[in-house]
Amino acid sequence: MNIQKPICNVCVTTNSFRGIRTGMCVRGLFLVAVGAALMLSPMWARGQSAGTSPAAPSLAQADVKLVIGGDKVKNYSVGTLSIVGSSLQFATSKTKAAVEASSILDISTNEDSRQNIAGAAHIATMAIPYGGGRVLALFSHKVDVLTVEFKDLSGGYHGTIFVLAQGQAAPFKKQLVALGAKASVPLADPSATNK
Amino acid sequence: MKYHTGTPVSASFSVVLTCAVLLMVGSVWGQPASGDSKTAQKVSASSIQVEPMDPGDVPIPAEFRIAIYENLITQIEKTGKFQHVYRSGDKDAASAPDLVTLRTTAQSFTKGSQKKREVTTVSGSTSLILKVHITDHAGQTIVDRDVQGKVRFLGENLRATYDFSKKVAKIIQVTF
Repeated sequence: MNIQKPICNVCVTTNSFRGIRTGMCVRGLFLVAVGAALMLSPMWARGQSAGTSPAAPSLAQADVKLVIGGDKVKNYSVGTLSIVGSSLQFATSKTKAAVEASSILDISTNEDSRQNIAGAAHIATMAIPYGGGRVLALFSHKVDVLTVEFKDLSGGYHGTIFVLAQGQAAPFKKQLVALGAKASVPLADPSATNK
Repeated sequence: MKYHTGTPVSASFSVVLTCAVLLMVGSVWGQPASGDSKTAQKVSASSIQVEPMDPGDVPIPAEFRIAIYENLITQIEKTGKFQHVYRSGDKDAASAPDLVTLRTTAQSFTKGSQKKREVTTVSGSTSLILKVHITDHAGQTIVDRDVQGKVRFLGENLRATYDFSKKVAKIIQVTF
């Protein structure tokens, strides 16, 4: 304490000690840089331990419409839906939202809705996966609907509806369930429905 | 002669017109009085918690449930009646002193024409009746009534769930 005080005063008040002042500033900047690096290193480690690198999604689908429930993302926004690490991400040109698979309370596709309404016997007659033979349709037959119900950090319930290209919702559900997401309606087995 | 016969007619016309204006003014003045009696019955609450729709025995697809829930949250926030609109399960809601809870239960879900649905996603409207139940912190009922929403498929579908939520928001506007 006694040594530092006079040096600081010299730096501020005297021009002849400009060299000492510069050296102090450089050292200070170096210490700040080292400190920041040490502080941030655990965060990066956490990010890397999640699995794949953040830039490499394991599943991605462009031109997905977020119909409702995007919180910061506007309704009817079109963007890319992807699974990065253990989270489901939706990114538009302006914003990005992510949900951890473990926080997903229920995930369903429009195929599940049909099962709920038509019943298993009715579904068995449909026979064709993702396509024809649909007796009941809540949305257009040319699209798939993915609904995700999840809880936020404070435990609040949220629901989001995505509209994807036909046949694209099931792979998302399958992968998210594998990552720990819950699903009240189990994944439909295409081989069973083809029989 | 013509001028003499015209004067009584115009005089009676002006009397009738004056009476009509007085009646209109009277009816307009009468309305705020009835409005005041309504505001006197309003319930005070600073926060509300919205529970997800209970489908009960009615088979309602997840898309409908989610669209109704998210629209309800948005529309209730828009009313500006509450400082906080808590989602179901929000831990912060437990500390709210005068929290009211909104629950919706499906009463009926009438499917539209299947044939129309096969052809187009716009036609084949669906009727949905939900019981809207608002209770206070002690569990006493504040609102208990059925609200109908006409639900159509994709596109129109969400517009209908929005309409349902607007109806609930109106109930909240009147009640709180």
